[in-house]
Amino acid sequence: MKQTSEILFQDKRLGFFLYLVVEALMFATLFATYILFTPASVGADPSEVYELRTVVLTSVFLLSSSGTLMIAEKGLKTWDRKKIWIGLGTTFLLGSIFMGLEIHEFYKYVHEGYTITMNNFLSSFYVLVGLHASHVAFGLGWMILLMGQFKQKLPRSLFIEKHKIFNYYWHFVDVIWVLIILIVYVPYLF
Amino acid sequence: MNVPFIGEVPSDIVVSWIFVSLIGVLLLWWLTKKEQWPTIWEYARTTDNRKIGTMYILFAFLFFIRGGMDAMFIRSQLAVPESEFWVFQSQKYNEVFTTHGTVMIFFVAMPLLIGLMNIAVPLQLGANDLAFPYLNAISFWLFVSGAVIFNMAFFFNAAPNAGWTAYAPLSSDTFTTGPNNNYYIFGLQISGMGTILTAINMIVTIIRLRAPGMKLTRMPLFPWATLVTSFLIIIAFPVLTVALLLLTFDRLYGTSFFLGELGSPIYYQHLFWIFGHPEVYILILPAFGIFSDIISTFSRKRIYGYRSMVIAIALIGLLGFMVWAHHMFTVGLGALANSVFAITTMLIAVPTGIKVFNWLFTMRKGVVRIKTPMLFSLGFIPTFVLGGVTGVMLAVAAADYQYHDSYFVVAHFHYTMIGGTILGAFAGIYYYYPKMTGKVLDETLGRWHFWLFIIGFHLTFMPQHFAGLNGMPRRVYTYSWDDGLFLLNFVSTIGAFVMGASMLFVVWNLYKTHRYGEKVGKDPWDGRTLEWSVDSPAPEHPFDPVPQVNSRDAFWYAKISEESLPAAENPRPSPIPVQTIQPVVLAGILGVMSIGFIYQWVWMQVIGGVGVLSFFILRSLTDERKKAYRKEEES
Ligand code: HEM
Ligand SMILES: [Cu+2]
Repeated sequence: MKQTSEILFQDKRLGFFLYLVVEALMFATLFATYILFTPASVGADPSEVYELRTVVLTSVFLLSSSGTLMIAEKGLKTWDRKKIWIGLGTTFLLGSIFMGLEIHEFYKYVHEGYTITMNNFLSSFYVLVGLHASHVAFGLGWMILLMGQFKQKLPRSLFIEKHKIFNYYWHFVDVIWVLIILIVYVPYLF
Repeated sequence: MNVPFIGEVPSDIVVSWIFVSLIGVLLLWWLTKKEQWPTIWEYARTTDNRKIGTMYILFAFLFFIRGGMDAMFIRSQLAVPESEFWVFQSQKYNEVFTTHGTVMIFFVAMPLLIGLMNIAVPLQLGANDLAFPYLNAISFWLFVSGAVIFNMAFFFNAAPNAGWTAYAPLSSDTFTTGPNNNYYIFGLQISGMGTILTAINMIVTIIRLRAPGMKLTRMPLFPWATLVTSFLIIIAFPVLTVALLLLTFDRLYGTSFFLGELGSPIYYQHLFWIFGHPEVYILILPAFGIFSDIISTFSRKRIYGYRSMVIAIALIGLLGFMVWAHHMFTVGLGALANSVFAITTMLIAVPTGIKVFNWLFTMRKGVVRIKTPMLFSLGFIPTFVLGGVTGVMLAVAAADYQYHDSYFVVAHFHYTMIGGTILGAFAGIYYYYPKMTGKVLDETLGRWHFWLFIIGFHLTFMPQHFAGLNGMPRRVYTYSWDDGLFLLNFVSTIGAFVMGASMLFVVWNLYKTHRYGEKVGKDPWDGRTLEWSVDSPAPEHPFDPVPQVNSRDAFWYAKISEESLPAAENPRPSPIPVQTIQPVVLAGILGVMSIGFIYQWVWMQVIGGVGVLSFFILRSLTDERKKAYRKEEES
């Protein structure tokens, strides 16, 4: 017979996947908004605003963080505490660098005069990419909490459950970033 | 009246301040005298589905009174031409129809249905609770928080005023300044979050917590309707969330998504109706489910055409996403778009018609007992058919140029939403009252309620069809003697007061039942499904042992062969209940944060934001699974 923790985890996983569907639909609506309003007839054009270098840098850091998280996932399977620490730690580090670059990007745009009210291209850009960035920030906080709970010695099955749910979240945020690259940046960079 | 800090305040608000304070004091006194505080404390901390469901219905009833009073003011103002009833003209009238519509849809119809789902669905499946009891409490308190935010607006003389649809650019800060429509936005955002979480909870419950042997195809129709409705919710509500988010940026942060030369008001309409049309099916499908179970029970027959009923629910759900532009026929989307949406809209009438025939065939040759729940179901069928017929009329795009934004549309949606959703909720409340409280509501008073309500209803809304066809636009606060609309409106107003009076019988009935009603057993209606195999009121953890289900209506066939349901071997573990005040706390924090945004007090937003994030940490650290998993680990 299956264990209680296993069945309750499967409930939670299904629930969380449904929640991610909700999130995906919100992002989908924002993507539609961006496509609808970009490029705008007045104000800045995306090609003046975006810079290839920032996009490449941010992407390298965020996308590789999905890879480093896999180290932790491996560690969960064999209960290798070292792997879990390394995986979570590097993921956190890479995510933080991404966050720093993203803040810098917004800061620079605003300083160059590309503010959220300039035109609807920029409005939808800031809302969409800003929502994604706030998801990354939330994920960073979540990782700190998770590391705290790892030290705290929860029941092992509960820690694994919490870690796995976080992994789904982080990979989801990464997939949204890939879509942002493809839909938001790429059409106006090349 | 001039009040410090708030300014000039209309007299209706002053009256309601006095009124609400008096009621509040009375209530506090009564609760203390009756020593009810421990009960309240218990309910505030519960995660039990029956208790949460009961609270949903209780709060919905409170908001029903508020929305109903709005309706009475509307009808009083419109009773005669060129009238000036109290303060309800121009801007005040806009406020009163906005709050009426929003309250009725989001804070009455939705919670009534969700409340009934909470009470009945787990029991019908043989589950011991919803999949996530803690999350369920969160959902409920988010609904309360959103509703309180929305209803607060009126007391601060800032009731929303751009219609329940809040069309931009009217709802942008260029045309409706002040905090009014911020209340609308945040009230709906917070309660909408609760609704989304409920939908997730319901889906997981239905997919994973059914009793052994209860295949999907053996489920009663209410869980089926709940399942499809929940999928509609998780697809439709995120779109509303984003529409309101963009509107927030327009109102608070100077963007122009929906207004000005750059923005697109039509885009708001699309987003709103991509949510809004599925929303009306979210309101009707659960009612269909309730009626199906009630009609089957009171005809002592299996539901006719079970499979086609399920397919019809699914089809309605699916088609519901392909018709939103029928609310925008007059916008100028072009002949092709209008034709496509006209046809998809008309198609929906087909599965709906199938359901109507199946209900009729279920009763045919059945042993029909007309108890109050059945009476409401019988009233529903012809009423809802009328609403469906006017719906198909509205679907004729060319003709809709005449009907659109007239009282004909008002009549249509009241026939569907009152004739469907509200009658369904009443039927469900009478039907499930024993499962909620252990008592059956009084039959005679129930009949009074039904007859007054249905007569009042048709008196109110039948004439509105003709007023609309004669050219009376909706959302206007007066008309002239020359318009020839006096009689129609006057009858309508009389009807509205008859409906209002019928609700007094509900109050009387509640009082009488609690005072003099006797406890009933498990199965007062001679029911067919699992909820009637457990005690009334349903205890926490009702199924012990969990039954093994071997057919549709298994409980009925067990009764016929005079056996009890066999106990299942190895049922899955039940969800973990808790006692916690955390959900109330979260609702409070979100309320504070919303007020911060509504009045743009940044410090308050920060406090609220920090509060929410700290709450997440607290929640994770106090996870009720810790204990259960530790026990498992040790064994
Ligand atoms: C046979 C099924 C139905 C059809 C063909 C139908 C068709 C329509 C059409 C074409 C309109 C737009 C009219 C206009 O604005 O000019 C409309 C409005 C409306 N319908 Fe239905 N409908 C159906 C069922 C329902 C149901 C079941 C509900 C709710 C329980 C509902 C609620 C509404 C509401 C609330 C509006 C007005 C929204 C507003 O403008 O404020 N309808 N319907
Ligand atoms: Cu519609």
